Amino acid sequence: MMTSEQSRRAFLKRSSALGIVGAASPFVMNLAAIGEAAAATASDYKALVCIFLFGGNDYANTLPPYDTANYNAYFNNRTALAYLQPDLAATVLNPGTPLPGGRQFALAPALAPLLPIFNAGKMAVMLNVGTLVQPTTKAQYISKSVALPPKLFSHNDQQSYWQASSPEGASSGWGGRIGDLLQSGNGTATLTCINASGNAVFLSGRQAVQYAVGGTGPIPLAANATLFGSAAGSTALKLLMTSPPANVFGSEHSAVAKRSLDLYTKVSSALTGAPTLATGFPATNLGTQLKIIANLISVSSQLGAKRQVFFASIGGFDLHDSLAANEPGLLAGVAAALQSFYAATIELGVSNQVTSFTASDFGRTLLSNTDGADHGWGSMHFVVGGAVRGQQIYGAPPVFANNGPDDVGQGRLLPTMSVDQYAATMASWFGVSDTNMPTVLPNIPNYTTKNIGFI
Amino acid sequence: MPGRRIFGGEAMTDHATIDLEPAQIDEGGDDPWRSAQYSIPSNLTGTIIATAPLLALAACGSGDSGSTGTPPISPPPVVATPTSTQASRFLAQSSMGSSRADVDAVVSTGYDSWIANQLAMPRAITFWDWLMGAGYNNTTNINTENGYNSAVWRQLISGQDQLRQRVGMALLDFIVVGIDGLTTNWKAFAQAAFMDVLWDNAFGNYRDLMEKFTLIPAMGLWLTFLGNKKGNTAAGTQPDENFARELMQLFTLGLYKLNADGTQQLTGNSPVETYNQDDVSGLARVLTGFTFDSTNSTIPDRLRRPMTQVATDHETGASTFLGTTVPAGTDGFGGLKIALDAIFGHQNIAPFVSKQLIQHLVTSNPSAAYVGRVSAAFANNGSGVRGDMKAVIRAILMDPEARSDANISITTFGKLREPVMRLTNWARAFAVTSPSDTWAIGDTSSPLNRLAQSPGHSQSVFNFFRPGYTPPHTSIATQGLVAPEFQITNEPSVIAYINYMQSLIQSGTGDVRADYTSILTKASDSAALIDEINIVLAASELSAVTVATIRTAVDSIGTTTSALLSNRVYTAILLVMASPDYLAQK
Repeated sequence: MMTSEQSRRAFLKRSSALGIVGAASPFVMNLAAIGEAAAATASDYKALVCIFLFGGNDYANTLPPYDTANYNAYFNNRTALAYLQPDLAATVLNPGTPLPGGRQFALAPALAPLLPIFNAGKMAVMLNVGTLVQPTTKAQYISKSVALPPKLFSHNDQQSYWQASSPEGASSGWGGRIGDLLQSGNGTATLTCINASGNAVFLSGRQAVQYAVGGTGPIPLAANATLFGSAAGSTALKLLMTSPPANVFGSEHSAVAKRSLDLYTKVSSALTGAPTLATGFPATNLGTQLKIIANLISVSSQLGAKRQVFFASIGGFDLHDSLAANEPGLLAGVAAALQSFYAATIELGVSNQVTSFTASDFGRTLLSNTDGADHGWGSMHFVVGGAVRGQQIYGAPPVFANNGPDDVGQGRLLPTMSVDQYAATMASWFGVSDTNMPTVLPNIPNYTTKNIGFI
Repeated sequence: MPGRRIFGGEAMTDHATIDLEPAQIDEGGDDPWRSAQYSIPSNLTGTIIATAPLLALAACGSGDSGSTGTPPISPPPVVATPTSTQASRFLAQSSMGSSRADVDAVVSTGYDSWIANQLAMPRAITFWDWLMGAGYNNTTNINTENGYNSAVWRQLISGQDQLRQRVGMALLDFIVVGIDGLTTNWKAFAQAAFMDVLWDNAFGNYRDLMEKFTLIPAMGLWLTFLGNKKGNTAAGTQPDENFARELMQLFTLGLYKLNADGTQQLTGNSPVETYNQDDVSGLARVLTGFTFDSTNSTIPDRLRRPMTQVATDHETGASTFLGTTVPAGTDGFGGLKIALDAIFGHQNIAPFVSKQLIQHLVTSNPSAAYVGRVSAAFANNGSGVRGDMKAVIRAILMDPEARSDANISITTFGKLREPVMRLTNWARAFAVTSPSDTWAIGDTSSPLNRLAQSPGHSQSVFNFFRPGYTPPHTSIATQGLVAPEFQITNEPSVIAYINYMQSLIQSGTGDVRADYTSILTKASDSAALIDEINIVLAASELSAVTVATIRTAVDSIGTTTSALLSNRVYTAILLVMASPDYLAQK
């Protein structure tokens, strides 16, 4: 069959890329194949869903400190933006394992819909996650004695570094590299990495290809049967769209068109048979994206998928202005969509198999610029799903200060949990072996703790 | 800036809207902006046939070498009258699209005269004045974008000043403001005023352009420094760094120090950062105190006037960035001048701006030598003037790398045509008009049923696509190349484009309709029909196989009724526009 053939080729291609095909080492090939087979024949299904908050989500108002000493430091450093302490009382987090030193955090009030998920043990909170090359102290940052992610504080580059461990121009991201390892277990390899939000390097592997869908799935070609009354016209159209010329730009365009036309029938017919979800989704961009992802998950068996990585996104977080006025609405949108998505996975009986997590360019400064905050570095993030060891806060609580021990000035947090560790923890749950982890996350060998343990 | 999405935070949901705008307008009223005079260098009058390698060594603006002063180092290129095919290819790089008459005009006058005429051509009307003339300043429009899309599509498609339209669009691709993210009333006017800065100064000096796009309120709103206040230690506030960072990163210098040919300077094997966080913070201090010059928001007028200064909000302590210090006590405009002069004097600006303009007009991956030649024209127009856009544009279009026919068959040459330009290619090729002058094309940004791009509707300052974008694991990536327009190319968008063009080609939208009278005369002869469309839309770059495929489709349709003849024309146009041979501008 076409589809299994695609998967087999993907596996062989990957094996070849890893140098394990051919005369060199049949023994290594066998070991690799055993690991591969374990994933490929797994009867379970798992999905990872990245929710990217474009623009750089402010950390201090997403997860404000609540204990008095730290609340006061927060308030004094960003008075113009700060929540009043009593307004945080309803969303204070009470983790199963209290933080040391009496540290307490609250969810932003707009994130209140997520509190029951946290309290049910299905959501974990990450403190001060960000891009790093290796563990980095402030002294090392100042003296530039260790490698740092290039182009810190630059939107496009830090978006890329989060997704790909490399700045803008990266050719593969860690979601796609996970796909490289696991797509052979899927009936249609091309449906391993699915983007509901356009293009993102996150979902491109060294072999795995991102497949994009709209809010209702794939888009039908209007002239699929006839073009201006002619069936021959339709045939010619599809032939032209998918025939690669020598020129690389024309050729790549034809490859995208071919993927689109080849997969349309398969995906759209599967979606036609998708169960109608009783769970309602908000009629927002993010809600629409997470709904189509839930729909695709619901037909994963029809599509022959065992492991899928999804990408959704919401923008608007670059709040140099009007942060106090506008961030709550954005976070409320995230909370509403994520709450619906989690509920949908329960309805579908796959909540233990689907893990969602947030990501963003960077955090923002603790200090305000009158009514907003500027580009920062480390930030706070959330992981939601039935498999999550929830009702816990992971990572090191930062000192809220201007040029204190945990920030590099103006309250730009120096991350204490790297994106690599955050990603590796989820990749490990997803089925990536320790041996293969460096192919997904090249910098993970730089960390002693490779698994944060939140899932 | 609420709700503004940054770089790709774009749900693939259907949010296309169509402007339905009732007003009839009378295009009248000359633009007061029109003092440009340009003396026409005349030694280049046609196609450069040879791509002599030594030409690549010409030190300074080879395309502008005739203006004054330094004689060219290398012999002048061999020139000849362009063919129709060459003229069409030239217009693909220098206009929003061409009709057969446009092609014939270039054949008749040669490239050089065409460029000279275009550089001397004033704008017929500004975006702002068109909105005013059409009555969009009626208070019923205060909280809408009404009129904006019409104003822009109208000029892009029907403007005679096609080189200005194309260069304006190229500037808008990296000096970005997006109407939907402007938190103001009179959004159409705010965006129009910004676009007018780009269009008015497209043939001016880049230093002037920098100052004007800095001070236009739309930019102050978009990058949040309108109302930016100096730091206040007691209140724990600092100046907003948004514009300071993006001014350097996106509009002028870029992140890494460049050589004059656009390649990165290396120390050891590492690139050298152009600026650091301290430079951003230092420049942000200078950019404090700017705001509207009026509190009257009941009419749009303040949106077209430069921002003014509130002295008490301006940082008066010394500020240092990029090795330049604005002394303590300097006022707001004095500080701005020092800052912009420092940026304009920076080594990066010539290669940074030149390369992006080349990418948007000619090819995604220009050679370093090409960038170097254009960059040299930016640095010195031949008369000692830095930043002369006329010299830069001429250098880009007349460069051997742009003009060489041999490059057409270099598989990595060229670029994916921007979706907006595909639409205008069709519109200009087939005499599209809007009799009511309402141009109801609307916002075409939906990736699901339009073009995934719409002029001035970028959701972020990073534009619809980035100059450094590389589609992952493609032959483009493995060759270390970039293909910016692929950032908005994906499985839904490639289908949406075809569906939308199919509808436009047949039916137009609103009263926006093509006039196929001329091409219909060839409808019964499929070879002649396709040949003509191939020349006009694709500079005869369709392969023989592509032509044969299209011909089969056209010949499947009869010739016995006018409806069938029309279907043959529609089919031929859509199939040309669907072919990768067309989609790659070469």
